[in-house]
Amino acid sequence: MPRRFGPYGGAYVPETLVPALQELERSWHSARRDPTFRTELDRLSRTLGGRPTPLYFARNLSRRAGGAEIWLKREDLLHGGAHKFNNALGQGLLARRMGKPRLIAETGAGQHGVATAMIGAALGLETEVYMGEVDMERQRPNVERMRLLGAEVHPVRTGGRTLKDAINEALRDWIANVRTTHYLLGSAVGPHPFPSIVAEFQSVIGQEVRRQSVRAFGRLPDLAVACVGGGSNAIGTFHPLLDTDVHFLGVEAGGAGGRGPGAASLTRGRPGILHGSFSYVLQDADGQVAETESISAGLDYPGVGPEHAWLHDRGRAKYVAVRDRDALRAFHWLAEDEGILPALEPSHAIFAAVGEARRRPATDHVVVTLSGRGDKDLGVVTGAAR
Amino acid sequence: MRLGNALQTARRAGPLLIPYLLVDRRRTSRLPAVARALRAAGAAALELGFPFSDPIADGPVLEAAGGRSLAAGTGWADLIASARATAQILPTAVMTYANPVWRHGLSHALQDLHRAGVSGLIVPDLSLEESAPWRAAGRAAEIEVVLLAAPGIEPARLRRISRASRGFLYLVSRYGTTGAGRAQGREELAALVRASHEVHPSLPVLVGFGVRDRATARAALSTGADGVVVGTALEEKLESGAREGEITRWARSLLGPGSPHVPRT
Repeated sequence: MPRRFGPYGGAYVPETLVPALQELERSWHSARRDPTFRTELDRLSRTLGGRPTPLYFARNLSRRAGGAEIWLKREDLLHGGAHKFNNALGQGLLARRMGKPRLIAETGAGQHGVATAMIGAALGLETEVYMGEVDMERQRPNVERMRLLGAEVHPVRTGGRTLKDAINEALRDWIANVRTTHYLLGSAVGPHPFPSIVAEFQSVIGQEVRRQSVRAFGRLPDLAVACVGGGSNAIGTFHPLLDTDVHFLGVEAGGAGGRGPGAASLTRGRPGILHGSFSYVLQDADGQVAETESISAGLDYPGVGPEHAWLHDRGRAKYVAVRDRDALRAFHWLAEDEGILPALEPSHAIFAAVGEARRRPATDHVVVTLSGRGDKDLGVVTGAAR
Repeated sequence: MRLGNALQTARRAGPLLIPYLLVDRRRTSRLPAVARALRAAGAAALELGFPFSDPIADGPVLEAAGGRSLAAGTGWADLIASARATAQILPTAVMTYANPVWRHGLSHALQDLHRAGVSGLIVPDLSLEESAPWRAAGRAAEIEVVLLAAPGIEPARLRRISRASRGFLYLVSRYGTTGAGRAQGREELAALVRASHEVHPSLPVLVGFGVRDRATARAALSTGADGVVVGTALEEKLESGAREGEITRWARSLLGPGSPHVPRT
């Protein structure tokens, strides 16, 4: 398992966490070779999660674009309503294997918190979730869901009170309780080995895309598109296709526009060290990490997974930023054209995918990972319409 | 004077005290007086904390103080100005997170600190595995890069950290962030102190995190450590408006007579 992706990654953490990260890496090495672990992961992915998720031809959205065919990888249909289930299940099983009775997690949009709460309940592990106060306000339905699922939700009142601050608090909790607690990190960020573990658990997305696209249209897609906050659904989509000719487009949150950076770490940040890894970070000239702004809580993060940083530098994947209002437009397109309410996070990817499809011939195939459903965002969307 | 040399000399006379002072541009003018007050109390060196936006190893007191400092506009230039002032008074080490140093360019930042008179660097989120380029840059710039160890560590790893650390070994007293909270059992910490002294006898071991008064300082020194680092309690003193005389009396009381420390020769 690589510690670095080119120059990116590593484990910049207080020494207190090093034994836990080493234990996690050892446990993961033995689990991935263990057929019992694999079987359990596969069984629960199917019977609890609802895998495989379908690949859907968005005929009307494709017509709107007027170019290539647009296909949607329906992670919004997964248990809990987002791709976060894949990673929460995998790491939950690892936590049980390590004998840790308590899970902690950070959450932005609440999808990872919900997934962790579900897995905690299913596996009998105590679950506590850190969530910024701003995010609790704008993603209220998910706060209620987590509580109903038996998780304790801790409001985070430091910094900008969003995802970055929730990760800080979760890390502090982990430092204090590391012997009994697994930190179920929700994205492909953080210190080694988290980026690799999360990427591998999310790779089921790309593996299914690979199989399903050959079955559906006889070959691999020409382009795979996914939104990027920390980048877990994107890396899960891209990873199994890295050895092919498929082009990749990662879509970051551009925010309201104007002079602010939004939350577009790769397109507007520079290399730095945040939350344990070296990657692209939105920061000022003194290395202080910037406050971000995005309509989507799940993309509202000033860092990005280190593997994306390396794909970006090598030019293997392209990254663009989509503004709030364009993501909202794409939300309505998908609702009206296909009868699907997407989460605001993948709405960014939908907008970029429609633009890409427009520039491509009708014989091309664009696959977009629809990473989550939009029920949680109805308040934000109807508020924006007013 | 170099940090390590100063500490090795000072520990012959008794236990070491290193107070931590957070850099805040609103306090820069007062800093020399505070540093002198701490020197008068017997402080062996000073840690200057440069605030970071995401201080994951800090407890609530230092996190809030750092946030206020940043909100007041504290920047790298204030760190340099503060270091210039304190390094005249006490050997000065800078404590900050990896990113602010990295952002200024590792070599460039360390040379900058060296020119300001800084002789040590402590980075709480720099693990042994990532420390090689930092230690190399430290050697080139004559800055001693102090590594940290913490409870739960395997003995072999502690020995590697101790061998690689310069200036002193910063032993984190417990699982948790800076500030209030109970230290790990004395026996566990004492074993770590012994192991470090065995492989690197000239390297002082200082215990930090949770040392805030006479009792906690004595408990820390009873592990055989050479001294203590005190941060949160001093920050609270400064916030409560303590004057220099009071700071001296308070700091002196931490390591007052009756300390169980046996001077090392």
